[in-house]
Amino acid sequence: MIIELKKFGTALISRPSGKEAWLAFQSSLKDVSEHEEVIIDFTGVLVLTPSWADEFLTPLRTRFKDKVKLMDTDNASVEATMTILDKPVGNA
Amino acid sequence: MANICEDLHRYGRIYIDMTNSLISISNIAKQLGVSIDTLRRWDKTHRLPSTRIGPRGHRYYRQADIDLFLRNDIYLARQWAMSTVGSTPPSEVYCQTRDVFQVRLERLQGQLQRVVPESTMSLLCAIAGEIGNNSFDHNLGNWPDVTGIYFSFDLRNGYIVLADRGLGILTTLKRALPELKDTDEALKIAFTETISGRRPEVRGNGLKFVRQVVIDNPFTLMFQTGDVYLNLKQNDRDVIISHTDGNIRGCLAIINF
Repeated sequence: MIIELKKFGTALISRPSGKEAWLAFQSSLKDVSEHEEVIIDFTGVLVLTPSWADEFLTPLRTRFKDKVKLMDTDNASVEATMTILDKPVGNA
Repeated sequence: MANICEDLHRYGRIYIDMTNSLISISNIAKQLGVSIDTLRRWDKTHRLPSTRIGPRGHRYYRQADIDLFLRNDIYLARQWAMSTVGSTPPSEVYCQTRDVFQVRLERLQGQLQRVVPESTMSLLCAIAGEIGNNSFDHNLGNWPDVTGIYFSFDLRNGYIVLADRGLGILTTLKRALPELKDTDEALKIAFTETISGRRPEVRGNGLKFVRQVVIDNPFTLMFQTGDVYLNLKQNDRDVIISHTDGNIRGCLAIINF
């Protein structure tokens, strides 16, 4: 499955909108088979924040673990967000 | 001019010419409600430059410059956040709800796209979005007086200002870390550790993200909560907390680019 994040908007910023996206997408995720990859496509996203990503990508990775693959992107806020999200919790 | 300045110095009078009157630092301090030391500091940092007159370089100000300064968003945001009595800001800078903030953030995005590279626009909107949404996230249902945030930007002068009259970083983080001693410690932790003020929810990357973006890019950030603040700029390794003489109820953030 490929998830095109631009379908949720081009400015993915707040927690409530990330949570809403996650809840709304549940019906689509139920059809993902056990061994299927879940590919995240950032094309068309202009702004992404850790708050939005925390509500959508974090539970997605919790559920599908290493089957979640991120497509390459050159968007600066997407890169910065994914860098922060991948850091372990704790001190800087 | 030299004679006039000497007279001014000798008699301590305010120099008046045909077009501009110069006003003493003590009168401006009263007018703006800040201390003389604050005005001296603002002069040194070029936030509010003075005219230096006489052999001892006494500071004077033109009323026209003060009027301009009073219209300055940053000053107004600071005053709004510092005021002991809450009031609704002017509608053009007031985002009472998150929805209004989102719309205005997209307006900022559209305007930035015309003047800066897309990567800069993307990062500036992301950090402004994080700071603004943080205010809503942490004060939802608990705003002490005025609900919402002050949000303004000036692309010609290259700044974005956000302020809230919320609970502030210390109160927010104490929910997760009751042992927190003071605002200094709270502000430092907010920018350096992944700690959520909304436990048991897993969150708390926001201000760390803001810090990382600022130190990786040619931006600066001033962030104040209570009577402490920090300044960050590109390549800063440490987070240094300083005290100021004005107490802010919630948070004030000024991003320069």
